[in-house]
Amino acid sequence: MNLIVFTKRVPATQEEELRITDEGKAVDLSKVPFKVNDWDNYSIEEAVRVVEKSGGAVTAVSVGDAESDEVLRRSIAMGAKDGFLIETGDVLHDPNARATLMQNFLKKENVPFDAIFTGVQSEDDQFGAVGGILAAKLGLPFVSMVIGIDAYESDHLIVRRELEGGLQERVKVMLPCVLSIQTGINEPRYVSIMGVRKASKVERKVFKAADYQENVVNKIEAVKWVYPPKKAGATILSGELDGMCKELLGILKEKGVYQ
Amino acid sequence: MSYVLVVAEVRRGIFEERNLDSIGLCTLLGKDAILLIPEGDYGINEQLVNGLVRVKTEETLFLNPLNMVNILEKIMAARGKPDMIVFTNSASGIELASYAAGYFNLPVITDVNGYDKERGIFFKSYYSDKIFGEFRPSGEGTFIITVRSGSFKENAAEKGSAPPAEAIEDVAANTARTFVEYVEEEKTDVDITKAEFLLSLGRGIGNKDEIPDYEELAGLLKAVISGSRPVIDKLWLPKARQVGTSGKTVKPKVYLAMGISGAFQHIAGMKDSSCIIAVNKDPEAPIFQYAHYGIIADIHKVRDALKGILKG
Ligand SMILES: Cc1cc2nc3c(=O)[nH]c(=O)nc-3n(C[C@H](O)[C@H](O)[C@H](O)COP(=O)(O)OP(=O)(O)OC[C@H]3O[C@@H](n4cnc5c(N)ncnc54)[C@H](O)[C@@H]3O)c2cc1C
Ligand SMILES: Cc1cc2nc3c(=O)[nH]c(=O)nc-3n(C[C@H](O)[C@H](O)[C@H](O)COP(=O)(O)OP(=O)(O)OC[C@H]3O[C@@H](n4cnc5c(N)ncnc54)[C@H](O)[C@@H]3O)c2cc1C
Repeated sequence: MNLIVFTKRVPATQEEELRITDEGKAVDLSKVPFKVNDWDNYSIEEAVRVVEKSGGAVTAVSVGDAESDEVLRRSIAMGAKDGFLIETGDVLHDPNARATLMQNFLKKENVPFDAIFTGVQSEDDQFGAVGGILAAKLGLPFVSMVIGIDAYESDHLIVRRELEGGLQERVKVMLPCVLSIQTGINEPRYVSIMGVRKASKVERKVFKAADYQENVVNKIEAVKWVYPPKKAGATILSGELDGMCKELLGILKEKGVYQ
Repeated sequence: MSYVLVVAEVRRGIFEERNLDSIGLCTLLGKDAILLIPEGDYGINEQLVNGLVRVKTEETLFLNPLNMVNILEKIMAARGKPDMIVFTNSASGIELASYAAGYFNLPVITDVNGYDKERGIFFKSYYSDKIFGEFRPSGEGTFIITVRSGSFKENAAEKGSAPPAEAIEDVAANTARTFVEYVEEEKTDVDITKAEFLLSLGRGIGNKDEIPDYEELAGLLKAVISGSRPVIDKLWLPKARQVGTSGKTVKPKVYLAMGISGAFQHIAGMKDSSCIIAVNKDPEAPIFQYAHYGIIADIHKVRDALKGILKG
């Protein structure tokens, strides 16, 4: 099977203090490290596993600035054959615009595929919408939150998708199709610095987003960024570490869970 | 007539409570809510909506995005275009919403958790709730929203009379994607939903080798260990220990969260705990908004200090 995997470079903001600048027009990410979107790490791994068994090749595609080449090198180090960058300096506020750009690219460049994988969502913006929009635009069946591929046949896949509370749904989907891949579907292989260095010798093709702009319009307007409204919040314990820990044990006693 | 279409999420005969958030948003917007729901006895309070459209089809067909777009097509042909189509922000809701947005070429904003009526602005979370984005559809016409559970529920209000109901029939079942079966989680010996005291570990623990030290702490405290999703995804803890929307919902007397940031999918699974204590080195971590007590510190240091005290 030939698989296309969309992979995105995102800021790793979990441990960073984020500051809004320009009166809400921007978030200062200048000191934030960037990395591959967690969900895409799992989807590249899944795609590589599928082609290792069924034959074919994985093509990793990223939309972004030149720095996004980093996630393509990483994909190749994991086993992708090609890395394509659709280069743009523009902000695509809208998953609709992004999916339309991807659709135009796939059509114009005639990239062959049996299935397209995206991540369930991007860590940064959590839209979770690109896969579904792209599928519908391409007229292909779509399954989201895929947590297992149980079987692949010449014309269809049997996949499991995750619902809430530990429940899953087994689904049959005809090829070609679009899947959005959920974290935990596999254990992504370790990528060494050496591996990435070796991968950088494989040529990655760069395409200009400007060539695929037909109907790429923002259907939603990102007005500005704001800090979430503050709730009452926690009583923050203070003092020396030992003192705070004793206070913590005191709370546990008071709540009756520790004697 | 102007209306909002609320697509009900129903699963195995249950009308999910988060549908009330979709209905509540309509009330807040001051729009008539027409509930789209498969035929069946879901025991819903019909007075919360202004009308119902019952679809003569099975639940699993209804929840399939490839069929949903046909159902929506029929409704729009019969009633005209809605101002807005609302889905729940769940595994099914997001799937249906994004596919419908692509199919009908409509704007979509997912994971909406607030609305500013005066400015016509929807709020959506970014960066695991550290920042919100203010959004609105660019032009006129129908747009699609998915609503975060718990955001608008209290706005849902009874209208005082039973609403009219219509039916849709002859929904063709798409064959490109078909439901096979439900798969239940395996039963395990530990049930975190029964624990009174949970020590819950997040990605902040760093790596698997740290687990035994936390298990030792849990042993000393007589707490049961649970975790956030990344910890389960990385196989550091078994799936049965996962707290959150795609794991278990827990309500212990004490929930001690270490190295968990507080993403809404996690919060949804533990927010009703009687006492939440969070330890995190990031003072801006959203979990401190939900916790009763917080310690801003390195979790490993807190762990070791607690062990020191407990071992005397
Ligand atoms: C005021 C404001 C300013 C903003 N500024 C910026 C900005 O400067 N830059 C910016 O990028 N966003 C910015 N955004 C965010 C932007 O509005 C959208 O959230 C985002 O572009 C749409 O989501 P998505 O397509 O990444 O999402 P999702 O649907 O969550 O992504 C799911 C999957 O789609 C695929 N995918 C998505 N994007 C790409 C990609 N680029 N390349 C390859 N695969 C991809 C991946 O497989 C991913 O796992 C801003 C938002 C606001 C409110
Ligand atoms: C469909 C779907 C379903 C999901 N279901 C669930 C679910 O059921 N349960 C769930 O938990 N998540 C779920 N998620 C994932 C969720 O969105 C978050 O990604 C996840 O909850 C983050 O886990 P975390 O807080 O452990 O990790 P992170 O967000 O990475 O946070 C780690 C935290 O640890 C802190 N930290 C790091 N090192 C230290 C240290 N040494 N000392 C102190 N603090 C430290 C950091 O400051 C940070 O706040 C789901 C996502 C999707 C899309």
